[in-house]
Amino acid sequence: MNTPADNPYKAAYERERAARLKAEQLLEDKSRELYQQNRRLEESYEQLQQQQAALVQNEKLATLGTLTAGVAHEINNPLAYVISNVSAARDYIEAYDQLVRFIQQPEVMGALPAALQEEWARLEQAQDLAFMQEDFPDVIADTQEGLDRVRDIVHSLRSFSRLQEGEREPSDLVDALKSTLRLLHNELKNRVTVELDLDPLPPVRCNLNEINQVFTNLIVNAVHAMEETARPALKLSSRADNGQAVLMFEDNGCGMDEGVLKEIFTPFYTTKPVGEGTGLGLSITWGIIQDHGGEISVDSEPGQGTRFVIRLPLMAE
Amino acid sequence: MKGVVFNILEEMVLEEKGMEAWNEILSRTQAASGVYTSAISYPDEELFALVGTVSDYLEIPAQSVVKAFGEYMFGALAERYPVFIERCPDLFSFLDSIDSVIHVEVNKLYQNPGLPRIRCERTAEHQLLMYYFSERKLCMLAEGLTFGAARRYGDTVEIRHRQCMHDGADQCVLEVNVVA
Repeated sequence: MNTPADNPYKAAYERERAARLKAEQLLEDKSRELYQQNRRLEESYEQLQQQQAALVQNEKLATLGTLTAGVAHEINNPLAYVISNVSAARDYIEAYDQLVRFIQQPEVMGALPAALQEEWARLEQAQDLAFMQEDFPDVIADTQEGLDRVRDIVHSLRSFSRLQEGEREPSDLVDALKSTLRLLHNELKNRVTVELDLDPLPPVRCNLNEINQVFTNLIVNAVHAMEETARPALKLSSRADNGQAVLMFEDNGCGMDEGVLKEIFTPFYTTKPVGEGTGLGLSITWGIIQDHGGEISVDSEPGQGTRFVIRLPLMAE
Repeated sequence: MKGVVFNILEEMVLEEKGMEAWNEILSRTQAASGVYTSAISYPDEELFALVGTVSDYLEIPAQSVVKAFGEYMFGALAERYPVFIERCPDLFSFLDSIDSVIHVEVNKLYQNPGLPRIRCERTAEHQLLMYYFSERKLCMLAEGLTFGAARRYGDTVEIRHRQCMHDGADQCVLEVNVVA
């Protein structure tokens, strides 16, 4: 074989080849770098999109909070006197009813002159008094029931918009969660396996009634989501992390798609059939957690399950 | 096929038979341009035409050329990309990593590199089944590469084609036995 000294072109070829290999190596290193930078960029972009979505969501809910606070207030005032007046009206009408029934007694009616009796009978027929007497208690009962419902909804709207500031005390959230579970024992027993993974937590300053309402909402929703699940399991866990109490509610129920996820905290949004849910449960939950300076987030996969995570600030030691 | 494969074929011929042989092979192969850059893809037909000419020129069957090329190619690739060998302690773990590591990395660098699908299954302490599928049906290249890898790890292997795409099977099954 020729040595480089014999053949200067071969020596030059070898150098060129070495240079080419180096250049190719460089190209590959740069391509890999580019790939990795691109990945990092994609990740940041995705994170940014999520943050933006959360921001828009918070803005939207805050605006809705102000709006519902106004609406609730405006409805609440007339509602108060309508409820009171309907109650008074029922008493008045009952008094008239007694009077009519007194006159309708045969001995009273018989004591009247024949011309008056005839006039009475004509009026009774013209006004369909018999029907009115029969129907009136139902009309009043329905009206009162309707008013009660309006009052409950207004009350819920006020909870969402946080018009009521309750008492706050240092509380043990693990105890609160356990007591909620005891209250919901009937809902859960023989239906759902509850797995507890509860680390003790330092106290959190909160309104326990409200926090219990949050726990109840999340647990009841999870139970509903698992109605069609073969082995429904609800996993509840707690831990302290970076000055926050972190509580997780994880079910293996039907899950939600992105479209539903975007709306779950919006007042009156519900996936339940008409008449079964008001669509206020999670809005109120959101309002309560916000009001306590905390955060609530949700992850869900259709057909796999849903996980709610609540973060509330621990009291400074 | 990536240019790097053409580069390595050229390297092999240069090393074994010299520059004149390669020039002669190129001049006899009308389909081949002779200018290959590693990151660029060239038509498969061009590589097959070159292998055909090499086979004629050396008067050995094309499949044997492909196999010998595979064995040579392993050494050349190992020199270019030592990291993939360093991270695997033995032959079988290396063969396992073709699909799970090497091809993943290649896919990061190139769009549609047209890699074969290679899945490995260990059936005994010294035996491994390699399932090979590629439109190019270059199972002999896989066999040669495996021989090259075995030599690198200081193993002697016997490879048997249990079934082959060239006989109409939907994928090749290569039985790799380490005998020493």
